[in-house]
Amino acid sequence: MKVFSRNWYKGLNLTAFSLVMAFLYIPILILIIFSFNDSRIIAGWQGFTFKYYILLFQNTAIKEAFRNTMMIAMLSTLISTTLGILTALALENKRFSGRKGLLALIYTPLVIPDILMGVSLALLFNFTRVNTGMITVLIAHVTFCISYTVIVVQSRLEGFDHSLVEAAQDLGARPSYIFWKIKFPLMMPGIIAAALLAFTLSIDDFIITFFTSGRGFDTLPIYVEGTIRRGTITTINSLSTLMIAFTLFLVVITKRIRKILVSAL
Amino acid sequence: MKAKSRRTVLQKRNNLSSWLLSLPTILWLLCFFLIPYLIVIIYSFLTPDIYDVKFEFSLAAYRQVFTGGYLRPFFLSFKLAIYTTLGCLLLGFPVAYYIARANEKLKNTLLIFIIIPFWTNLIIRIFSWRIFLAHSGVLNATLMNMGLISQPLEILRTDLAVVLVMVYVYLPYMILPLYSVLEKLDFTLLNAAMDLGANEVKAFFSITLPLAVEGIFAGTLLVFIPALGAYLIPQLVGNQRSLYVGQVITYKIKNIPRNWPMASALSLTLLLLVALMLLIMYGLYRRHVARRQVS
Repeated sequence: MKVFSRNWYKGLNLTAFSLVMAFLYIPILILIIFSFNDSRIIAGWQGFTFKYYILLFQNTAIKEAFRNTMMIAMLSTLISTTLGILTALALENKRFSGRKGLLALIYTPLVIPDILMGVSLALLFNFTRVNTGMITVLIAHVTFCISYTVIVVQSRLEGFDHSLVEAAQDLGARPSYIFWKIKFPLMMPGIIAAALLAFTLSIDDFIITFFTSGRGFDTLPIYVEGTIRRGTITTINSLSTLMIAFTLFLVVITKRIRKILVSAL
Repeated sequence: MKAKSRRTVLQKRNNLSSWLLSLPTILWLLCFFLIPYLIVIIYSFLTPDIYDVKFEFSLAAYRQVFTGGYLRPFFLSFKLAIYTTLGCLLLGFPVAYYIARANEKLKNTLLIFIIIPFWTNLIIRIFSWRIFLAHSGVLNATLMNMGLISQPLEILRTDLAVVLVMVYVYLPYMILPLYSVLEKLDFTLLNAAMDLGANEVKAFFSITLPLAVEGIFAGTLLVFIPALGAYLIPQLVGNQRSLYVGQVITYKIKNIPRNWPMASALSLTLLLLVALMLLIMYGLYRRHVARRQVS
């Protein structure tokens, strides 16, 4: 009796899991399938086509939005990861007198809804009469990425074996030598994880970009929202499919990078 | 004595280098995180203009927030945040539990399946629900072909659609912290309890749930707080009859005539609400920890 009911319990969890998987993936799968649908409206299957992919590559507005997204993502990743590394190194010192205040400053943005950061930056740029555009979007993206990069690099710094550093110190190695030859390579997986996180956060962001980008500087999420609002959505399915493919590519790449790093260390 | 003074000198130097290392981040967050909030506070006491603000003191924005029908968006957002959190918890718990009990190899694969949607662009995921739920969308077409309904269901542009998509988007944020606590749970405890005659329900409430409380707190923090400020999902799958705080704030900033003092006052009220919720959750968490130490 007992065995039977335990199986029932397990079955319940499996059912729940399968239902949630369906919930998570069915809308995305439909989107992908319909990007090959030869029909202007969504309803019904009208036959297979690559038409919308070709239209996509002819669309200059999309190309520009893509370029903007990538440029912002790369620059904000670079800046926020650098700041993250420096701050994580500062936080490693447990006796640092500004440690508590700095930690509070870093964690606070994470528990405030994104929209408030968007509003406050929009008002800052209005107050200072700065023209909104690429620079303001970049500033905003770095601001919301910093907290994440600091935390990710810091957790790696706290997790690793310090005996290697101590051994090098005992053997009389110079601090700069210790840093570049031992500490930095050990920090590398954390740095890569932080950079990837910053990159994905940046290309994903809508709301903060919405408040800080001026007319004429669209990132992909801003462009997509605009086309949905205007109802001209023919190329959005194919664009979305390519973006999903890019996500999968990132997932695979991260796994590879992690594997390479693990085997290299 | 000498060794001690040498240590304090070293410590001072370390302290200085920590300040220097963190200085760029401190300055950055000061300029682009703290000072902007000061400007929000200042703007909330100014007079609106069609495109901008007039630097004349006024309390009109606050008066309107509390009397001018702006309590409804707050109420709706609060309700939405609660529904979203509960939905994520109800769907996320069995999933996290299932993954935590799977064997090691399967575990990583299952986790990746949870993370992929989380890495997929937010706006695309919302857009895919519009295709799925639309009047002549896939769901309605399928159900009508199967003969289950004769009229298309009008789900898109309802409050139900908003909750559904919110749960969909925030689910991974609940599953991952739940998984990380459930993974540490010692399942032999459960088996022991059941061998001693407890049934599943009793074992669940007396063993699994108390141990999972930390994950529930973390998940709630990650779902409830952002849900309070939701804009994009209500905007794309909701309707204009029930406006949420995020939408009202955005309209006051983006739409003309602009009302930036109003947007500022609403933002600060939302911030206050968030702070209050964090305090309540922190209090509950402290009580939970204290109770666990007693028992």
